[in-house]
Amino acid sequence: MENEEIIKGSTQAEPEPDLNPVNVEASKTDSESGQAVNTGSKSFLRGVAIFLGTILFILAIIIFILYITPALNEILPGRKTEIVKNSEVKNSADFKKRLSLLNKDIQRFTLKSNGYTSGQSYIVVNTTENRFFLYTNKKLIREGFCSTGSLMMLKTEKGKVWVFKTPRGKRQIQGKIANPSWKRPDWSFIEEGLPVPPKDDPSRWESGVLGDYALGIGDGYLIHGTIYKRFLGMPVTHGCVRLNDEDLKVIFNTLNIGSKVYIF
Amino acid sequence: METEVKKSGLKITFIVLIGIVLAFVIYYSIMSMLSPVRKLDEIKNEFVGNASEKNESEQQILKDSTYLKLLKEKAFLQSRLVMAETDSIYLSINLADSSINIEISGVVVHKARINSINISKILSGSDYSVLSMLSTPFTISRSIATIKKEPVMLKMAPKDTSEYKPDIMPDTSIAEPVNYILEVNHGIRIYVYQEEKTKFVDRMNQFKFDIKDRLTNTWSSLKSIAVLKVPEYHPFIRIKLPRTDAKIIYRAIPKNGQIAVFT
Repeated sequence: MENEEIIKGSTQAEPEPDLNPVNVEASKTDSESGQAVNTGSKSFLRGVAIFLGTILFILAIIIFILYITPALNEILPGRKTEIVKNSEVKNSADFKKRLSLLNKDIQRFTLKSNGYTSGQSYIVVNTTENRFFLYTNKKLIREGFCSTGSLMMLKTEKGKVWVFKTPRGKRQIQGKIANPSWKRPDWSFIEEGLPVPPKDDPSRWESGVLGDYALGIGDGYLIHGTIYKRFLGMPVTHGCVRLNDEDLKVIFNTLNIGSKVYIF
Repeated sequence: METEVKKSGLKITFIVLIGIVLAFVIYYSIMSMLSPVRKLDEIKNEFVGNASEKNESEQQILKDSTYLKLLKEKAFLQSRLVMAETDSIYLSINLADSSINIEISGVVVHKARINSINISKILSGSDYSVLSMLSTPFTISRSIATIKKEPVMLKMAPKDTSEYKPDIMPDTSIAEPVNYILEVNHGIRIYVYQEEKTKFVDRMNQFKFDIKDRLTNTWSSLKSIAVLKVPEYHPFIRIKLPRTDAKIIYRAIPKNGQIAVFT
């Protein structure tokens, strides 16, 4: 209690009356300037409060518009599935007939949909992950790493352009060769800064670089082996699909001409 | 006296301003809330015509949950069969069993698990017109992504052998954040976010991607509202996938690829 009074006294600190006119004048000025300081700090605090309040208000509006309004959008639309309790409808001949027709349609569509997946062998190549998946009788029999197109765009000074990209979509095996030789295309010389020889020049032929087997998938693209095995699992080729020797052998023996190749 | 008048004038202006802003926000919210209703009407008009033409027993049947579930399944299968007839790569999103597949000519070539789903009420509801809409595949009209569709790198051919440098091994360890939006027919947007948010960069990237989309939507809504038009509503499907799957899907699906959705 005593302490409280002391604190009260010290905080209120009312000046004792002074009878000297000079001192009265001085104390008047002091109290006025004190009041001015007080009013100044009050108005400053008020200003800060208004400023902060405005910012908070603007923020609240922004959050409301960006986050709350989109959520409000979801209040009105849609209709919940109603379960028909009316046994009259459930037991009606029309309802039963419609349900049976619907079931038949679904069965028919499911059969058709399942029929697309061949029971024969096919290969799936994932160019993003550089992986392959070999299927026979709708079962995965082998999977592993491969190398696909590097997505490099080779440009010459004359403006000729090649993009080394593995073609995507459905293709099929168009040819199978053991011990293939590679006929180097123009870009393979240009890429190394070599002069391009005539079309049938013997210097275009190289053996051993494609591995033991090659399977053509059309437009000059092949599934073949590689001498750069450390690059398997990476996008480094000029568009062909490279595999290691063991995988290539299995694939060569499993896939036939006409087998599907799905590249994505 | 003068300052007090000034102060009260300011106060009134301030209150009026707040009032105007609040009124606008309320107007904006009401218009935004009306936009999905208008969207549903548009879909109804396009796919079913006048609903009142159906007799009562037909309407009762269309409310039956078993019947609607089968209708949804049929719509999804129909949609997939249409796409299977093409040689293109397409997507089938089955929200009922949380799976997303990449398919080519009816063959599922990649399967991924959806870990989180948030779907617009319009699409999750079982309105017959929406089911009719789902029975035809959607076509991607626009996509926005944090990764490149085809990260093509340019290499200038060397003039001679002295300039030739063998290709360096590509850095496949870079795990860039994968988030994208696929906009399809009827303004439907499919948001795909990577599930992993282990790194701060991933969180920031997703936040930035999300806020950018919200700002774009708000801006287009504001433009419509400014001319007293109900803003365009975009029904949405938001899914979260493992980063690798999200990336595979985005890179695999063609620019104007097709999508079948089962809700």
